[in-house]
Amino acid sequence: MSILEARREQTRARYPDEEGYVERDGVRVFWERYGDGPTTLLLFPTSPISHSRLWKAQIPFLARHHRVLAFDPRGNGRSDRPTDAAAYGSWEFVEDGRAVLEAGGAERAILVGLCDGGGWALMLASRHPATALGVVAIAPFVPYLTPGHPNYTRYPFDEPLDSGEGWAKYNIHYWRRDFRGFLEFFFSQQLPEPHSTKQIEDCVEWGLGTDPETLALADDEAPLPWSSKEEARALCEGVSCPVLVMHGELDQCQPRERAEAVAALTRGTLVTLEGAGHLPQARHPVKVNLLIRDFVASLERRTP
Amino acid sequence: MTVLEARREQTRARYPDEEGYVERDGVKVFYEVYGEREPTVLLLPTWSILHSRHWKMQIPYFARHFRVVAFDGRGNGKADRPSGIGAYTEHEFAADSLAVMDATGTETAVLVGLSCGALWGALLAANHSDRVLGGVFICPSVPLAPGHPERDVHSFEDRLDTEDGWAKYNRHYWLEHYEEFLEFFFGRMFTEPHSTKQIEDAVGWGLEIAPETLIESHEALELCGSERFSHVCARVRCPVLVLHGDEDALHPLARGAALAGATGGRLVTLEGSGHCPHVRDPVKVNLLIRDFVESVA
Repeated sequence: MSILEARREQTRARYPDEEGYVERDGVRVFWERYGDGPTTLLLFPTSPISHSRLWKAQIPFLARHHRVLAFDPRGNGRSDRPTDAAAYGSWEFVEDGRAVLEAGGAERAILVGLCDGGGWALMLASRHPATALGVVAIAPFVPYLTPGHPNYTRYPFDEPLDSGEGWAKYNIHYWRRDFRGFLEFFFSQQLPEPHSTKQIEDCVEWGLGTDPETLALADDEAPLPWSSKEEARALCEGVSCPVLVMHGELDQCQPRERAEAVAALTRGTLVTLEGAGHLPQARHPVKVNLLIRDFVASLERRTP
Repeated sequence: MTVLEARREQTRARYPDEEGYVERDGVKVFYEVYGEREPTVLLLPTWSILHSRHWKMQIPYFARHFRVVAFDGRGNGKADRPSGIGAYTEHEFAADSLAVMDATGTETAVLVGLSCGALWGALLAANHSDRVLGGVFICPSVPLAPGHPERDVHSFEDRLDTEDGWAKYNRHYWLEHYEEFLEFFFGRMFTEPHSTKQIEDAVGWGLEIAPETLIESHEALELCGSERFSHVCARVRCPVLVLHGDEDALHPLARGAALAGATGGRLVTLEGSGHCPHVRDPVKVNLLIRDFVESVA
């Protein structure tokens, strides 16, 4: 029994109508379907620091009118935890998403993602335009498009440090010493809004569904999908469907310039969320849900 | 400008359809009316450490189903702050409640009260049975059963040589460290995890009464003894529902059970709840109250 199953899961506002696994190169990825409306939304996971429950405030609302597919990233939740870094390359998550779409019986979908998942949604839309009706990218991670957030370069990731304070916790040696302490720090940074104790507690719990070695493979050792700004720009320019970008003005993970660049290069719309951090879907769900709903409605109007 | 006006009030899910003041013996209290479908639910004030905004999770929901009247009790909110212990007895609050009913054209109502709201709610039900359809008492602080022993250790009046825990429930501490007292007190009121917002709200409301006034209101409530209140309860004839959290750190469940017993009412124990389940578990509480109101109407 996995750690996740051993814990008693919280009750849900809505349970999946269908669930299953897709398998690619021996790696099994767990997915769920909720609802059965005419339009499909594929909710990408993000880095294995979290899993599909990160969308818990979206799924019950969106599934009232749409077919919603969600999946756990390789490395967390009920998906496998491969032990080689290559298995955590960005394109692997993108292709997992495409496989889930097929397993869930949808040819095309509105692709929704947060942080890494926002990048994966853009990658899928760029490489397989026929699958993407639209993209919602919240605080998207698109490497090389702009400089990253300075928080991640304050300290080296894999050298032992004297300090374990602040962003020095973003370090593999610290993770091995006190993974929970790292998660508590990290999510308190990503949820800077007052009264976020519940959201932080949830995120820490989901983070404990993986382990330091797996997370280091995915977030540090896995190859990035490209190695230059030009490639990052080309990827964004290759997205031909409508794009909605959201960015919290207090985001401590992805810089605002990156969200602006994604919106500009994809000819999309940028919505800046006042007072929001990196996880607005958790902390401002009504606002985010309505933005997604309106975006979906605008696409349904233009679909014959 | 009052403290209330100086603060920018939070936006509300629903605004009153009617509001006004009612005056008794030169003391004004402020009321609001929401919705119109009978019966009327009268949301009673509680101890003056809070005002009517503590019902903010009930008003928008109840107003969809019933007519709702709420008012700021003397000492807080937009009500006056008379001085003197005599201004804060249960009799004054009961008389204010009746005056608000008269001013709003409320012939009969279901009373809903929190904590010491049960003191004047029971009094109103006992003395004006023709006006009261039923009573819901949430975590009643009634002198029918012993309180938590840790609250009995320290003197309220004397200067203490400690400020730990319930030693903060002390007139000298209030006068010198009022905000720290409020943070402590509301921390004990909201024992559930993830209550930071509720505590912050309550501290803000608590700051709208001066500690000098709160001391008088505290001393007035101390005068309500068990024998006197038992006689009041024995005269309550309307249906009564008592809701009490089994983790209430201010007033033990035994007090809620005793009130249900003394009034022939029904007790619902709310597992894991502290002293304000209507704030912290509003859906559960709203559904229980709605069912009760519909059953007595």
